[in-house]
Parts: sequence; C-alpha cells; structure tokens
Amino acid sequence: MNPKQLPDNWQEAFAKLAEECQSPALKRFYGAGVPGLDKPLEETPLVSLDIETTGLDPNKDDIVSIGLVDFNLEGIRLNSACYWLAKPHGPLTHESVAIHEITHSEIQDAPRLSSFLDEVLDAIAGKIVVIHCAAIERPFLYEAAMKHYGEPLLFPMLDTMAIEANAIHKPWWQRFGRQPSLRLDACRQRYNLPRYRAHQALMDAVSCAELLQAQVSHHLNKEHLTSEYDV
Amino acid sequence: MDVELSEILDTLCEYAPFIDLKDEPILQDMVKDIEITYLRAGEWAIAPEARNQTLFFIRSGAIEAKNKNGKLLRRMHEGDVFGSSSLLRGGRSSHTMMALEDSLLYRIPARWFIQFYSEFDSFSDFFELSREVRLKTAMDNQSSDLSLMTCPVHSLLRRPPITANHDVDIKTAANIMSNERVSSLLITENNSLVGILTDRDLRNRVVAKGLPLDVRVDMIMTQNPVTVDAGDFASEAVLKMMATNIHHLPVVKNGRPFGVISTGDLVQRESHGSVYVISDIFKQEDVDGLVAISQKMDHIFTQLVNADANTQMIGNAMSHIGVAFVKRLLQLAERELGPPPIPYCFLALGSQAREEQTISTDQDNALILHDRYDKALHGDYFRELSDYVCKNLDRCGYPLCTGDIMAMNPRWRIPLSEWKKTFAEWIEKPKAEALLHVSIFFDLRGIYGDKTLARQLNSYIRELAKENKGFLSALARNANQRTPPLGFFRQFVLDGEGKQSRTFNLKSRGIAPIADLVRVHALALGSNKLNTFERLEDIEEAGIMPDGRARDLILALEMIGMVRIKNQKNQIEEDEFPNNNVDPETLSEFERRHLRDAFNIVSRQQEFLKYRYPGKG
Repeated sequence: MNPKQLPDNWQEAFAKLAEECQSPALKRFYGAGVPGLDKPLEETPLVSLDIETTGLDPNKDDIVSIGLVDFNLEGIRLNSACYWLAKPHGPLTHESVAIHEITHSEIQDAPRLSSFLDEVLDAIAGKIVVIHCAAIERPFLYEAAMKHYGEPLLFPMLDTMAIEANAIHKPWWQRFGRQPSLRLDACRQRYNLPRYRAHQALMDAVSCAELLQAQVSHHLNKEHLTSEYDV
Repeated sequence: MDVELSEILDTLCEYAPFIDLKDEPILQDMVKDIEITYLRAGEWAIAPEARNQTLFFIRSGAIEAKNKNGKLLRRMHEGDVFGSSSLLRGGRSSHTMMALEDSLLYRIPARWFIQFYSEFDSFSDFFELSREVRLKTAMDNQSSDLSLMTCPVHSLLRRPPITANHDVDIKTAANIMSNERVSSLLITENNSLVGILTDRDLRNRVVAKGLPLDVRVDMIMTQNPVTVDAGDFASEAVLKMMATNIHHLPVVKNGRPFGVISTGDLVQRESHGSVYVISDIFKQEDVDGLVAISQKMDHIFTQLVNADANTQMIGNAMSHIGVAFVKRLLQLAERELGPPPIPYCFLALGSQAREEQTISTDQDNALILHDRYDKALHGDYFRELSDYVCKNLDRCGYPLCTGDIMAMNPRWRIPLSEWKKTFAEWIEKPKAEALLHVSIFFDLRGIYGDKTLARQLNSYIRELAKENKGFLSALARNANQRTPPLGFFRQFVLDGEGKQSRTFNLKSRGIAPIADLVRVHALALGSNKLNTFERLEDIEEAGIMPDGRARDLILALEMIGMVRIKNQKNQIEEDEFPNNNVDPETLSEFERRHLRDAFNIVSRQQEFLKYRYPGKG
C-alpha cells in the first residue's frame, strides 16, 4: 500500500493497519477508523486540511506549515482551527518563499514536523479529511509519516479538485479552447465565494471547506453516503 | 499554537460596526468563535418561526429580509450584518432572511453580540442608528392601512357629483335631487363650482319662507362653499366639517366639482362621534348639558382610536372639542354676566394650544385684557368670568391646573402690555429655574374673544425670543431635564423575558421632551406654528437639524403618541382612569421595539440641542 496503490476497502485497510502499526499515534489514528464513510454526507464529521511545502517533490521537499479546521455541511467552526509552522530540513527556495510567504526568519525557531505530527493525527482521527488536490497532499503526508514513524499514513479524502473536475466535466467533443482552471481560487469564483489571499495553510483549509459546502449544495446529494465521493 | 485568521479579522474590520473595534484585542477572540456557512440562493438564513442565536455577517452574496406577511423589507449585501434585532429579543425573529444569491455568511455567536453591545458604545450605536431607518419603514407600513384618517378624500366618494347650472330654478333643482336621491346639489357656472344647495336649504330658505319655485337656484344656494381637495386626507375633510359645522362638503379636483362628502359617509366609517359632538356642545343651553356631553368623551376618544386615526388627527379632534367646551362656557358666562366691558382674549396654553390634547388633560389657560383695562371698573367682571369658565371646565372633565396656570389666577389675567412685560422679563433675563414653570406659556393660542390680542402677543414673543441666545440656551437646558427612559429600556430589552413590574410615563419622558425641544428650535426660527408636527416641518425646511432628523422626530412622536393613546384606550375599556403610565409588559413586540427606537431618537436630539444652543451651566 502506497499513495499510488490505494485500498479498495478503507474500513478493512484501517483495521489491518491498526493491528500492524507500532507507533502509538498511528495505532490511535487507524484505530479510530473511518466511520464517516458509511454515513450520509450531511452526517459526516469533516476536517479540511492544507499543507504548504518547500517544493513539489515529496521525496526531496518538506512541509513548512499545516492548517486544518473541523466542519460539516452546516458550518465551519473556526474555534477548531489549528495551524502549525515546521522547520524544514533543507533550505527554503526562492520560489517557495514567493508562494507561501513563509520566510527563513519565521521558521528559524519553529519546531520540526516530527514534534507535532502526533497532534495532527489526533486532530484528524475519526473524521473524513477534505483537501484540494489529493495528488500532491497525499504523497507529502505519506512521506512525512514514513520519515518520522517508518510506517505509512494513508486515508480516504474528499478532494474538492476532483469533485470540481467531475462537476464541470464535459465530453471531449463538447470542449473547445482552454480548459477551465481547477485552482482553488478559480473553483471558488464559480460559486460566488470571496477571494482570499492564497497559500496560507489555515486560510486555504477554511477556503477549501467553504468550497466543499458550495459544491455539495450545487452538485452532490448530501443524503448519499460519503463513500460515493471519496478518493 | 498560532491561529492565523487575520484575513477574516481584516475583512470584518473593513465594515461597521467592527471597524471601530479593530484595535480591540477581544475581537481576535471573537473571530475564533465564528462559524462559516454557505447558503445557496433560495435557502434560509433565518427561516419562518426559527429562533436565531447568531449575528450574521455577509461575506459574499445577498440576503433578503421579509416580514411575516412576506413583504420585502430590505436587501443586504457584502459587509452588511443582520440578526441583531432578534438577538435583542432573546432570539425571537419577526423577519425571515433568505439568500437571494449564493452567499457566504460568518455567524457570530449571540454572546459576543451581547457583550459588545453592552461594552462598546460605537457598536450599540450602530444598531440603534440602523433602527431609525427601520422605524421609518414600520411607520410607513402602518400608514399604508386605509383608515379614515390617512385615506384620501376621493376614496370616500361613492358616486360622481350631481350638479346643476346656476341659472336653473328651484323646482328643477329639487327634481334633480329627488330623481338622483341626493340630499345636496352642487351648483356650477361654466363647469366651476359656485355653490351648494342642500335639503335643509330647501326647507329653511324656500318652504319656510314661502319662496316661489321659479326663483333661480343661485339666489338661495350657499355661495362659495368650503371645499376639500380630492387628494386631501379624509381627516382634513372631517376637521373642516367640524370647524364649520356643516354636513355636506363639496370635493373639488382642479377647481371642478368631483363629489360630495356627507356626514353620512363618515358615519359609515365609525368616527361620527367627533363630528357631531362639537355641534352638540354649541347647542347646550346650560352647564349641566355640557357636563352630560363630557361624560361621552371617553367613548368618542375610543371611537377615534378604533377608527385608526393617527395621533395628529386625534390630538386635533380632542383639542377642537376642548376648545368648543371653552367657547361655549364663555358664551354662557357672557349671557349670565352681560357683554364684556372691554375686549379680551381667552388663551389656550400648552397641549391645547398645540392641538395635541388627548383624553383627560388638565386645563391650562390664561386671559389677555385690552390695555384699556381698569381694575376698579372691570376687575370683578373678568374675575367672575374666569371663575365661571375654569370651575365649569373642571366639571366637564378638564381638572383645575395644579400649577395654577389658569385664567382664574389674577396673575395670568392681565392686560396686553403687562403680558409683554412679563415675557420680556422671561426672555431677556432668563433664569432656567423660573423658565421651567412657564415654558407652557410659549405655546399660546387665542381661542375666544378678540384674537388680535393673542396675535400681537405671539408676534412680540417671536421677535424677542429668536434674538436672544441666553434665553434659547436656558430653554434648551430645561428641555433636556426630562430624559427618555433609555437605560431602563435597554435593560428591559436585554433582559428579554425578565420580569418587570415598573411603568414609565410616556408623556413626561417621551412626548413632553419632544415638544420641549421642538419648541426651542421653533422659537429660534421665529416660526409662527404651534403644533409640534407643523413646527417640525418648518424646522426641516429651515435646515436647522441635520438632514432627515426632523423626519425622525416626527416618526418618534407619532410612535410614542400612538402607544400612549392606545394605552389610554385600553385603560378606558378596562374601566380604569386613563393616564400616561405604561407598563412595558403590556406592550406588543412591535410597540416595545419601536418605542425604544423612538426614545433613542429623542435622546439623540436632546444631545443635539446642547450643541446647538450652548450656554453656561
């Protein structure tokens, strides 16, 4: 099992990993299971998560910040918001500083990711994680866990990018010109959501949660099981 | 752990009421408590009958507020807040809020709203100011009800006018009336109204006099009759009929006859009481007859309130009736004592002069004597005359004035030149303490006798007062002595369902403060109006107050006045003695909320008075 080979049955996979994992944090995480998958979307506890990184390669680049916030289809509870800065192993590149505006001085005194990864796992345990672009976030989290625990971190996700792609999907013979953008900000604008300054992990997590609320009310059936929509 | 929600905080702080709190650290704690909700167009933010526990901030999109009947109240957009009024009433919402577009809302829990509301003046002021706008909406909605007092005259007309040319003979005219089954005929010349002929005219001027039937109708008609314009309010028609004691009032539009209103039309509208009572008063040959009529006053008052008359109309009617009692008593007194040896003028003071009387008001009056007055020669006559009027007014339900401001007090029964000296003393050497007891004299109206005496005195006062800054500032200070029950009300509202058994006086804490402060502006302006509403119109025109504030006060006065009048009506119906005390627990939600809004307006205008007429002390 790795980010490229996801299990068909998440419940079984979680049960198995809960058995196998040695690190207490991962044991707790898998032990909490994925109860949300069997519930209608409207009853599922959700947590929106976003990470900022030093680059795009999960094998070489590091996570520099993580933001998350609990929500459900009724509302996003800001009092559950969490935000961490992490000191990367390698140096910050100019490109990454330009994107997320986190500078050397800010993370000079920040803890290593390993010192709070347990907290992150506890915060998302038992909930369904919502992210924008699983293809990037999932490998980074997987690598982080492999580095720190030596054991895998994998879980089902609701990916607002995938939901959006599906919602605006048209067969090739109906498409012409440029494909609509699937960037978070571009997606949000389709739902009359306000524009936020991008690339701050917590605001992006809030942003992503808002987007999912909008997508559900326009395109998904909130009475259907969450497992219909996860990736 | 650092929670980085500064973007949300920054957005909130771009808009009132948060903009004034942006330096308060506590705002950051509030932001952490926000819940964000996405609504699709057509979804409820506050559904019908739902209880509301949050203050909403519109981050994007648009929301529509509607009242219970589905009437659109307002549309709100990005940066607007809503939900505050239901939070102030413990969550009960009288309006529904629906997303007009897809909207993103920040929901701020009620406890933060309540805390900020009591801690930060700028925050509570924000919600009170927007309330002025709401109050206006509410009053506009009320006045859209078709009531006798607010509907236009033409809405009372049931058929086009029956007319005859001025040169037809009496027989022809009578035949037209008979065929058309009307009791009055409008007489025209070149299609313009020149006269009116009624059943009564045929009886009194033709049959009783034995006039031949071939006499031209313009010889016996009432020429140039009093008319009312089709677009005027029905209340004006009522007043004209009361004032002139007629039963048929021609309605014209652009000078052409448009119809006739009869007392019958008004009877159907259930407010005939006040129309008839004045003519009844003048028919009485003795005081006992007047006393008998005065016992029907409660009933007349209740009828007016039930007919949805507004406070201006009721104040007008009650004052006209009050004046009729005074006039008839003076006629009876003159009949008993003989004609007056020198000219005099009987003055109404205070609410009667302003035409703002309600039920059960003390008498406030005075008397101006001609300067030929010689105490040795005329003293007894006027003493007896005043005693007769004041004591009998007391019998007719207008109690003697406890402050002794009555014509029967020799101090207030003096010649014109003495009155001028008295006023000059008050105005030129103002002592706030002394002025407090005499402010009522600055609303004076001649109601009987030689009214030029009252006119001379009024113009003398106006000239003197508007020049005198010291006087105006002393009067302004007095006007601010009685304050609206603001703190009490805020407490009351915030307490929500808390038990309150206290009452407050709507006259001394609402209506009188408005009359007082408006009087100061009116005197400063040299306005010759006495009625508070009319004064406010002059004030608005002169631009003394900031834009729209005079209008706000008119609404506030109407609102407070209405609650007072309805309260008195209820007291009468409960067989209690009507007074000005109201128990907030007996008020409807509408009344409670808008009364509070009205008091806030009064309070703000009292502040403005301090600033406008500054002075020592």
